[in-house]
Amino acid sequence: MLLQLMLNGLVIGSCYALVSLGFALVYNTTRIFHIGYSVLFMCCPYFVLFFMRFFHFPFFAAFVISIVLTILLSMAMELIVYQPLRRKRSSLDVMMVSSIGIMIIVLNLISLLFGNETQILNTNISKSVSLFGLIITTTQIIQLSVNMILIFAFAGFLKYSNFGLRARAMRDDETLFTIFGNNINLSRLSLFAASGFLAAVGGGLIAYDVGMDPYVGMPIFLVSVVALIIGGVGRFEAPVIGGFIIGLLQSIAVWSFSARWNDAITFSLLILFLLFRPRGLMGEKKRLA
Amino acid sequence: MNYIVHILIIINIYVILTISANLVIGMVRMLSLGQAALYGIGAYLSVFALMTLKLPLEAVAIFVMLGTSIASLLVAYPSLRLRGDYFVLATLGFQSIVFAILYNWIPVTKGPYGISGIPAPKLFGILQISGNVSFLLFSSVAAIVTIGFFYYLIHSPFGRVLKGIRDDELAVMSLGRNVTAFKIWAFILSSAFTGLAGMIFATYISYIDPTSFGLDESIFILAAVLIGGVGNLRGPAIGAVFVVLLPETLRFVGLPDYVAANLRQIIYGLALILLMRYRPQGLAGDYQIQ
Repeated sequence: MLLQLMLNGLVIGSCYALVSLGFALVYNTTRIFHIGYSVLFMCCPYFVLFFMRFFHFPFFAAFVISIVLTILLSMAMELIVYQPLRRKRSSLDVMMVSSIGIMIIVLNLISLLFGNETQILNTNISKSVSLFGLIITTTQIIQLSVNMILIFAFAGFLKYSNFGLRARAMRDDETLFTIFGNNINLSRLSLFAASGFLAAVGGGLIAYDVGMDPYVGMPIFLVSVVALIIGGVGRFEAPVIGGFIIGLLQSIAVWSFSARWNDAITFSLLILFLLFRPRGLMGEKKRLA
Repeated sequence: MNYIVHILIIINIYVILTISANLVIGMVRMLSLGQAALYGIGAYLSVFALMTLKLPLEAVAIFVMLGTSIASLLVAYPSLRLRGDYFVLATLGFQSIVFAILYNWIPVTKGPYGISGIPAPKLFGILQISGNVSFLLFSSVAAIVTIGFFYYLIHSPFGRVLKGIRDDELAVMSLGRNVTAFKIWAFILSSAFTGLAGMIFATYISYIDPTSFGLDESIFILAAVLIGGVGNLRGPAIGAVFVVLLPETLRFVGLPDYVAANLRQIIYGLALILLMRYRPQGLAGDYQIQ
């Protein structure tokens, strides 16, 4: 039983890890608490729905187009809202408040256009496969494999590439970063694009499994924030670890208590970490006061 | 006429909410996303005091204010030592946990079924406050008391230290003030009145359920404070009036219901973004959040 729970937790955890990585890409580098991120993984499935319903595209083509559109949306958030604020040298609080505004606007636009009911992308029931005596559905297999491939690819890319180096440099000191000749606007845009890509894939896969409604963004976003804190701010591998931990924890909690207490458990974990280990499991030692 | 009275009562409640939130968000500049949780705690505590303990109104008010303050200590003490975004996270966590408890602890809070039949309060044990007009008087008196209290607070030495903390925390620390203690006191005082607003809400609507006290409501209160402006008393009050009256004006445009609800939120979101960009002091505030 425990193994089955751990397998479920692993699959959910990989989804959480992916979206946490996307959030960390923006937060670790630009330090913006990008609440607008919470609508990105909700938008991608709605784009898919749009293209499948009105243009009758097959799922895969619609998914690809939706990923591109979500990336564009993420870049638009940076271009329209954050960049002008940065030029004004606004504080991070202002950026966070503006990101709340972005979230409200996009969420309500989607709700206006598509309604509040849960929509389903996949009308078939996925087949289950038995793997060493444990049950896993084909959808879960797709989720797990795509997520793991993307996570490893991105984590490796960020750790060992020039792009990753620049991303980490941007966090440390923006002015020095510009002095050394890097185009900060372009770098930020590409980070937002990458973040949008991860959100799109993660959100699309989750929606393919359980459907979506305009309000799924916030709970998943909050999980990715908690994953980031638990894992440790500053390192890109950390939110991945955090995501898996939360996935496993939720899976076990659903079995021990009931699914209703999921949120409370996740946030109690957050509060515990904030109290006793604010730098997370793998974070750098920093003054947080 | 009855409807206008109802709107005014709601405005009173939100004025209390925004002015108390202003102490934390505007004076100490810590963005709290947990205001609705405290609002909800106040509402549920007042129901407990009215219906289970059967206390008279004055005792209920004191009970609620004390109770909410103590509850706020749970989030204030650990998180006020942390930096800005971590404080926001801690309040977010507090909000979610409180909501989950209110929603799921069905034996005590009746969860999503809500608690109905909340009795109307009796002033001094004899004057029954029922009917819209007397509630208007009751809530207006409460709002005026709140405004008066916070006016006194902001213009007192305590308020001056808070403004100093807002402007330059390090300087205040170097002058020997215990900054954390001041922040915690600001939080306690703010949450006491937020709980009071919860009590007024509960007794007026006579039905409460957890969905009125979720993250959406926290964001709504935050938006009201920021749109109106922080730092003084005019700003939050104007913010409260704005966010309550806006859906009413939309009503007259004649939009279908579901469109109106979403459009209203879109306007709040737009207002937030535009104000942060072009007018960070809000409509009538003192302090620019920059």
